[in-house]
Amino acid sequence: MSEVLSAQIAQIAGAYFPELIITLFIIFNLIAGQFFSTYLYKLSKWFTILGIVLALCSTFYLQIEPEAYAFNDTFLTNIYTVFFKILILISGFCLTLLSRNMIREKRDRAFEYFAVFLSGILFAMCVVSSVDFISLFVSLEALGLSCYLLLSLNKNPDAKQLTFGYIIQNAVVSSLFLMGLSLIYGMCAQTNFDLISLYFSQNQPQILLTFAMILMLCTFLFKLGLVPFSSWLPDTFEGASHPIGAYMSLIPVLAGFGILSRILLIFLNYTFTIKIVLASIAVLTILFGSLSAIRQENLKRLMAYSMSVQSGIMLLGLCVFSVYSLSSVLFYLFCYVIATIGAWSAIILLYNSAKLEKLDDLKGVIYHRPYYVIAFTTILIALAGLAPTCGFAAKLYIFSAVARSGFIFLPFLIAALVCCVIMIYGYWRIIRALFRRIETQIEIDTRVISSKFILYACALATVFACLFADKIIQLCQLAAYYM
Amino acid sequence: MNFLSLIWLIFLPVIAAIIIMFPQFPNHQVIVRRSAKWFASFHFIYALLFLAFFDTSLFGMSYEKELTFFGMSWLKSLGISAKFAVDGIALLLVVLTTFIVLITLFISKIHIRSKHKLYYAMVFLLESSVLGILCAKDMFLFFVFWELSLIPIYFLVSQWGNSEARRAAIKFTITSFVANMFLFFGMLILYYYNFAVSNVLTANIESLNMDEKIYPLWFQVTVFINFLIGFMLRIPFVPFHNWYPDIQSKAAAPVNILMSGIILNTGLYGLIRFNMQVFPEIFKLFAPVLMIWGLVNIIYAGALSICQQGIKKMVSYANISAAGFIMVGLGCLNQTGFNGAIFTAIACAIVYSALFVVISSIQFRTKTTYITALGGLGQVMPKCMYLALIICFCAIGLPFLMMFTPKLMVLTGAMLSNLDQQLMVKIAAITGLCAIAVSAGYIMYFFYKVFCSVLLDQWKKIKDLSPQETSVLSVLCLVIIYFGIYPMSIIQIYQSVSSIILDVLQV
Repeated sequence: MSEVLSAQIAQIAGAYFPELIITLFIIFNLIAGQFFSTYLYKLSKWFTILGIVLALCSTFYLQIEPEAYAFNDTFLTNIYTVFFKILILISGFCLTLLSRNMIREKRDRAFEYFAVFLSGILFAMCVVSSVDFISLFVSLEALGLSCYLLLSLNKNPDAKQLTFGYIIQNAVVSSLFLMGLSLIYGMCAQTNFDLISLYFSQNQPQILLTFAMILMLCTFLFKLGLVPFSSWLPDTFEGASHPIGAYMSLIPVLAGFGILSRILLIFLNYTFTIKIVLASIAVLTILFGSLSAIRQENLKRLMAYSMSVQSGIMLLGLCVFSVYSLSSVLFYLFCYVIATIGAWSAIILLYNSAKLEKLDDLKGVIYHRPYYVIAFTTILIALAGLAPTCGFAAKLYIFSAVARSGFIFLPFLIAALVCCVIMIYGYWRIIRALFRRIETQIEIDTRVISSKFILYACALATVFACLFADKIIQLCQLAAYYM
Repeated sequence: MNFLSLIWLIFLPVIAAIIIMFPQFPNHQVIVRRSAKWFASFHFIYALLFLAFFDTSLFGMSYEKELTFFGMSWLKSLGISAKFAVDGIALLLVVLTTFIVLITLFISKIHIRSKHKLYYAMVFLLESSVLGILCAKDMFLFFVFWELSLIPIYFLVSQWGNSEARRAAIKFTITSFVANMFLFFGMLILYYYNFAVSNVLTANIESLNMDEKIYPLWFQVTVFINFLIGFMLRIPFVPFHNWYPDIQSKAAAPVNILMSGIILNTGLYGLIRFNMQVFPEIFKLFAPVLMIWGLVNIIYAGALSICQQGIKKMVSYANISAAGFIMVGLGCLNQTGFNGAIFTAIACAIVYSALFVVISSIQFRTKTTYITALGGLGQVMPKCMYLALIICFCAIGLPFLMMFTPKLMVLTGAMLSNLDQQLMVKIAAITGLCAIAVSAGYIMYFFYKVFCSVLLDQWKKIKDLSPQETSVLSVLCLVIIYFGIYPMSIIQIYQSVSSIILDVLQV
């Protein structure tokens, strides 16, 4: 009896141990919220950090060789998903530390906030692990729901109006996804990814498949902020509180790219034109996002467009679709996570000390905080993809993957390279403002050790990730190979 | 010679920059300045040691070294490694770079009045990135340093220039990024085409050589033109030259010297390394075009130089015009012309840096660079006038001064050249000869307007050069005279390398 039990436990631990731990801590947070309320509000943060750290440790116990399935083959664990889960958990850890000031203002809702926060992370991990359309849809919806709840925490009426667009559009896009799913089910009566590919490899795919695929892709274009569906980004980010803006630019992007590559794997064999369509979408996103970014005055709006541009670059790498290009996308995501967390922590430091969020407010900071300025500049250089940081290695890798894939993609490559220069100017405006010498009264509050620590750690990490890029790339290639 | 490591040579300035930027380092301008000068002197001597132990009869690269991180190469899985090596041409430019930085630091004292720590850190970062460009053995490593050099340039121009410098700096940075993207695109497709042909994933410049492999012509031409655009912007060449006078007229005086002394050479170096060595066939095809282009450059920029109102713009256009000779020399495709082209580049760097030192002293005393506001300064600054006279004579190309030999070599090379279009090349050589007269025109016009005409009342009280400025200018004049008399001492260093390059190119 005990042997059966231990075998079952080993199976559970092998397949979804981190998810289980995060779920437990969501429950802890909810229960603790009933008892501890406002006085011990800080406990919520420590619960969350403990949960995420335990989940990170538990990823070492996951069974990755051979791959582990769970829940009737709808949930998969292998190196590829573990890679994404680690990235999601690391960004969750940093975002928890960055939420410090926000929960100080909303002490009565701290436990609630972290419960929703953790459930977003949980469902993002579930999205990455899904190998079935039903479980994917449920996880995606739950992830969206967590995002709504986090966005609606901001009590400002303007903010409500700004974030409402996201909620409506997300609902529309989800229904499109469901429609595509129903079409596919109608064709092959399957929801499992492997079975669907098997079906289409044996039967001639119909034109309806392309239609279903386009409907499904809409969801991902929306979540990743790609071009026809990117209009929600700036408004939502402006309406959201800062840590939630950071959350929105990391967790859905990681989940989206994690599953998008898996879905493209099913479909790309049957139609080549979709590659061209996706490449055009990527280039248009980079162009549109960078042209909009260079006009922005609000740092949050600028970060929103930055996210859009970075997803565009990653989509360009993804639509080529080879093991090589997939590993380049994974490496790019890794660098994107480091640089984005760093940039948001710098913006949050500025906001926490003086409630400022405009680009012009950065002028004169160099007088008081030269090292803040240097760290922020390093991170912006990484986002722009320039030389001594991991951004350059990532860009080199992803563009070389595109160049390798054949001459059809070369026009897109040139267009993307030129558009990236526009975005460099977008980041350059921040650097220029940082180095302006104007007498101001702004004092960046450096008593907040955690945000400062994250800022400097990310700045160092961008440089070191460039020097030791080879090791990380090997890891990414391994993960991509296992998908 | 184990103590001669290129990695130390390249990254010592970075370490120096980090030490200077450290919070514990005293923020006192005298200490910062002196330690920077000491470091630069040490670095220059270290670079000279490389020259002293250099084997001039060697045909390939020497001092080869790979940068590893705890035994791991950089980006090995992409076939990219951080390997450094120099040949004769690169080594000469390396020594020149350290020399120009030393000169710059010696005259920075009077021009840089604020943000000392950042300034010296940025100069060292620029030095390091330029040395990296010159020593990189790998295509993408070259590109890393190539882009890295833009960041210090932006700060050096925008932070210490006049009120319009910020705009000029951003303009230059953005245009450079666009040109760099062409370069990057060319590199990417070259990298993968090479992989497709030879099945080896590598970005090593030597193993990318085109002569042993079969590439389609259109592909070679595409990559060649991409590279050409990237490098032409830096040299700078006529359709892409706008940024150079713009930046020079707005930046602080020491930055002018850095720009004319070390930045322009990187463009030339890239042209030789990539366009000439990787695509010899296409270079042969393009040689007459480049030659004519060089002539257009000489005449057009020379004519623009005479029309300028500011002396900084005047000298910058003169510099662009002189860079045209480099292209004429490269286009000859023979030993004389090629050696002359390299020598021209080195001479240009020294002579025009020296001219910018003269301008910096004038600007410091009169606070203006408009030619109409100056005049007759020779009466109050005799030392400056005599030293400037030597430099101006050199810029024209008088015998026994540094610029004479290279110009002679370039024009002889053009006359001896046996390209397909012989008549055209001969005409080009003769036109170039006339162009020297044009250069005499604008340089002497500059000299006359500044030092010789009527002295204005407000300049009657200004003082002559300080001992420090005098010593800097005298050293530069000595260099000019020494290499004017013994030109072979430079040429013999890179002769064996150039013969290798020319063997491939020889018609």
